[in-house]
Amino acid sequence: MPERPLNRVCYVEDDEDIQRIVRMSLERVGKMTVAVVSDPTQAMQTFAEFKPDLVMLDWMMPVLDGPALFRQMKLRPETSSLPVVFITARASQPDLDELKLLGAAATISKPFSPRDLPEQLRAIWAKLP
Amino acid sequence: MNHSSTANGTADSLEVSTKAVEAEIRDRSDPQHVLADRVAQLYRQMPIAIGATFIAGAIATFELQGRWLKELVLIWWAVVVTFSAAASLLLYAYYRSADKVASARDWLRWLAIAALGNGASWGLAGGVFFRSLSDEQQVFLAFLFAGMASVGIPVYAASWPIFALYAAGILLPFFYVLLTFGNRLFVEIALLVPLFYAINVVIAYRLTHVFESGYRLRRAYGKLTQDHQALNQRLEGQLVELEEARRQVEASGRKLALFAERAPIAVLELQPDGTVSEVNHAAEMLFGYAAAELVGGSAKKLVRAEFHAEFDRTWQELLRKRESMSGLKIRNPRRDGIDLICDWTVTPLVNFRQEVIAVIAQGRDVTAQLEAERMKKEFTSTLSHELRTPLTSIIGSLQLINSGVMGKVEREVGELTEVAERNGQRLLDLINDILDIEKIESGKLALAPELIPVDALVEEAIVLNKAFAERFNVRFDWRGDPQRKIFADRKRLLQVMTNLLSNAAKFSPEGGVVEITSADAGGNVRLAISDRGGGIPEGFRGRIFGRFTQADSTATRQKGGSGLGLAICKRLIELMQGRIGFDNRPGGGSTFWFELPRQHTA
Repeated sequence: MPERPLNRVCYVEDDEDIQRIVRMSLERVGKMTVAVVSDPTQAMQTFAEFKPDLVMLDWMMPVLDGPALFRQMKLRPETSSLPVVFITARASQPDLDELKLLGAAATISKPFSPRDLPEQLRAIWAKLP
Repeated sequence: MNHSSTANGTADSLEVSTKAVEAEIRDRSDPQHVLADRVAQLYRQMPIAIGATFIAGAIATFELQGRWLKELVLIWWAVVVTFSAAASLLLYAYYRSADKVASARDWLRWLAIAALGNGASWGLAGGVFFRSLSDEQQVFLAFLFAGMASVGIPVYAASWPIFALYAAGILLPFFYVLLTFGNRLFVEIALLVPLFYAINVVIAYRLTHVFESGYRLRRAYGKLTQDHQALNQRLEGQLVELEEARRQVEASGRKLALFAERAPIAVLELQPDGTVSEVNHAAEMLFGYAAAELVGGSAKKLVRAEFHAEFDRTWQELLRKRESMSGLKIRNPRRDGIDLICDWTVTPLVNFRQEVIAVIAQGRDVTAQLEAERMKKEFTSTLSHELRTPLTSIIGSLQLINSGVMGKVEREVGELTEVAERNGQRLLDLINDILDIEKIESGKLALAPELIPVDALVEEAIVLNKAFAERFNVRFDWRGDPQRKIFADRKRLLQVMTNLLSNAAKFSPEGGVVEITSADAGGNVRLAISDRGGGIPEGFRGRIFGRFTQADSTATRQKGGSGLGLAICKRLIELMQGRIGFDNRPGGGSTFWFELPRQHTA
């Protein structure tokens, strides 16, 4: 369990409506600091500037989808140890198993409840080594 | 040399065939019938014997009387007449008899007695009268005896022993009288008598054999004719049957051809080399070719060029295995170039030497069906993703507003956003349930069963349904079960539990208690969820696990739910080798239960 509480979360998501809901949920309900990225190709830069505690990735995104971005993160020393949570609307069990194997912290399926999301993230955070 | 050997060969074979014919005749002629034929011949000659005896006897009586032995001659005449009458009676009896064949031997015996009697009556005359007669009369009598003995040959020729008896009856007393007469000439004549007798018997013997072989031949010929007729009749019968069979085959052939011609599926008859020999109307319509354009050409005309190699492989396999193949999906170009996908069944026709003589190919156009399947898959995927994504935003936004973190809203606005959230959730549940049912029914649901402690499972289900309990003001009562484990798919079992717990919560009275209990049930573990609700209405019990069923439609509006929940539960539990059911509780309410295996079963 990490020593400090979960505070800084970066969310990569192309759907601006969901972005907004997640931001409000985490800020208002969870009292966290949130950065959202609409363009996954810009994600690396945001990670470097924002220095998040935890990253949330949408699965389905144009150009660069969540799993692909995740693999890129694993290749870079500065992002390889960032905990990653996937948000997905459609993922088969083998897909999820593969992500687990690659080192994803957890997956949260859409639709999620914005009321419970901060609590879910904190539970995941608490279970991290 | 060659010629002679050929001639010899021919003679040999002729001899062999003669012997064979004799054997054949013996086989085919029944001895009893041949005997009966001979007996009939003997009886046919009897009138001659009787007539000759009577006439000769009358002449003799006339010639010999007028002397001192007049009374004796008359007595003799009476004996002859009596014998003749007895013989006539025998003849009459024989002709009246219905049983001439089986008792032929008896008739022969009676005839032998009659013949002996006949001969002996002449012998009597010789023995008694001869000595006392004048020389002329003696000559007359000797002549008469010789004549009578000779007459016996044709009369009794069909049985030489009878002739021998008859002639012995005449000649033996005469021989004795001549021998003992005391006259050298008479002794010499007497010595000629046995010779004369022997010659006659030999002649009779030969004649008997001629008769016998004649009758045998006649019988064999009759039998042969009979056999021949029977054979002919059988052949004729078989010919009629064959003709009938041919007609039936023709009729069923016509019927089959009609079936193929009118069938809605494409039917092609192909030769073993892949040449099309016949096509039906449906095939013409389907591929847009006239029959004449396909017949005589290769079937590959109906296969895309890039698949020709695959076609050849399959074709060779078909010819090798000589077994029907079905479910072959082949891309068939139509005459206008548009591809169809057809599902083919190909059946090789094999002759009695196990050679393929033709292949019948039946094709069904499944293009539209495959397209429909693809669209259904696409639709399911769309439902899954494209509907859930916007719902995430809708429900999420409403949840945030309703949770109050965005600040206070007016009471009536709040009520409306709650209605919107609740119905958004219902829509989402419905979509999830439909997807689940679709997945289960198409057999695409993969289960990952494992051993799960019952206690942990129920605890987790209770946590997941806390919101329901709060909303309907219901308490879940679980006493714990540290021992039992069940073998099931964790996620899907939680789905079942959630369904049952939320149902129980929904239908419980305000402030009610939902009891959860576990128990052993044979090799299974039974989990039961009991409420104090209104119970299951009588008319609803039969279809409670059906699709889109709810006890009444107001419940749907008030309590939510898609009406698919229990149908999904039933299918999931059954997929996990268990069973599910419900009972009405004494004192009101209902218990829903399911049983699942304690451990992995094959």
